[in-house]
Amino acid sequence: MPTLRWQPLTTLVLSLIGLGASIYLTITHFDKVALVCSSSGAINCEKVTSSPQSVIFGIPVAMLGLLYFVPMAALCLPAAWRTADRRIHLARLVLAIVGVGMIIYLIIAELFLIKAICLWCSGVHVTTFFLFVIITTASPIVLATGQGAADDDLADLSPADGVAP
Amino acid sequence: MADNAQTSWTGGNKPKPSGSGSTASAKDKSRAASRPVAAKAPGKGGKGGNTARPGGKPATAAKAPASSRSTTLLVWGAVGLVVVIIAVLAIVKLTSSTDLSYTPVTPAPASVVHDVTNIPLSVYDTVGVTSPTAPVNPPTIIKAQKPLTLAGASPAMLYIGAEYCPYCAAERWAMTAALSRFGTWSGLKITGSSHTDTDANTSTFSYHGATLTSPYLTFKSVELESNQPLASGGYANLEPVTKEEANVYAAYASKNVQGWQPGTYSFPFININNLAVIGGPSYDPLVLAGQTWSSIASGLSDPTNPATQAIVATANYMSASICASTQGKPGDVCTSSGVQAAAKALGINAS
Repeated sequence: MPTLRWQPLTTLVLSLIGLGASIYLTITHFDKVALVCSSSGAINCEKVTSSPQSVIFGIPVAMLGLLYFVPMAALCLPAAWRTADRRIHLARLVLAIVGVGMIIYLIIAELFLIKAICLWCSGVHVTTFFLFVIITTASPIVLATGQGAADDDLADLSPADGVAP
Repeated sequence: MADNAQTSWTGGNKPKPSGSGSTASAKDKSRAASRPVAAKAPGKGGKGGNTARPGGKPATAAKAPASSRSTTLLVWGAVGLVVVIIAVLAIVKLTSSTDLSYTPVTPAPASVVHDVTNIPLSVYDTVGVTSPTAPVNPPTIIKAQKPLTLAGASPAMLYIGAEYCPYCAAERWAMTAALSRFGTWSGLKITGSSHTDTDANTSTFSYHGATLTSPYLTFKSVELESNQPLASGGYANLEPVTKEEANVYAAYASKNVQGWQPGTYSFPFININNLAVIGGPSYDPLVLAGQTWSSIASGLSDPTNPATQAIVATANYMSASICASTQGKPGDVCTSSGVQAAAKALGINAS
């Protein structure tokens, strides 16, 4: 990992993809609009999203996804990657670990409890997994140096290079 | 990782050509202002950017601290662990004998139970017993019989079916709705009919472990078999039939149950107080094909929905038969126009 040039941009894009999918799943949860997805056989989004496991402690899992990706997207903004505040980088790392723990539970629920797979949910799982991989491998860099990502590293993201966080 | 870190942070950016030092660019000024590490005087080094600190250790892997290598191992170990966990889950699933198409039995979501047990009266009355797109078979009326007694209580209603049975799957929607007008359900489950039989995977309820509490009648249900296929064929046994229930089936099945054969059970079998008997599908389960529990339940507020028409018309027939057994109680149900229309069609007095 020679630089952090691509990681901030990639995590931001992944967060926005996850956020979009979570918004869609949340809307279909409350409006009972049919998901654009297969509804028979092993691939059955509605079976998954209307299952008892689709709600945890009274909160729809789709909404939990929303509650995950909103702060994650904020923590993956260029300014957040640039900041020297270690708490921001730690928060991003903790959120990534919590996210991957959640998808392991949801994969178990889909495969062994609901016995159906939701493609939209799987998309969110893949997004969360790659966020975990990138953030976990990038975090020691920013945490070890105690400083945020270099301005040059985020040149592609910053309209005004070198703005202090 | 630390070697990478040093590469990234102390010398990671491309050095600018020497000679640019005396006229620092706006980028250099900005960098100097924002990052202490780059706060060396612009122009003196000649290289600009993130050159290595004077006296700093060379950023080589060979001289990276051991703790940093441990961090690298820890990080990639964590990533590898997650990959292994997911891979193991997938392998266990793929190598298990359970068919993904088989629908498990799980507690019914509150929203589904609410929708099916709170169908608006206007929908019952609008539909009546008419379903232009999904014809409904009325129950068989058997007159001059003693009221049914189950577990010492009368009037009573008996249902015998199985979780795998597609016709039972369709019947349960109407039965759940109709009985909710006379009592309160608890312990309802959701499941699907057999994934290999006709009308495969029809979304439905399971009465296994469910009870109806009613001041008007006693309801007993028997789910004889599950929808879980056995390797040896058939389905796993679920609930046994009591001697009393077996006698009721024997007395009424031969003349009223489609496909009845001596010594066997054919489903569904519903006996409403020895007055009305349902011995087959009241409507074609095809009208429910491809629909989830939530889509069927949420559609029950729309009297133009074909599935709703089939379910509600069947429920009105059942309600009328129950009302004829409870002397018209409760009044608001039994005097409703939908129930009265069903009673008239059946030739019974529901009020």
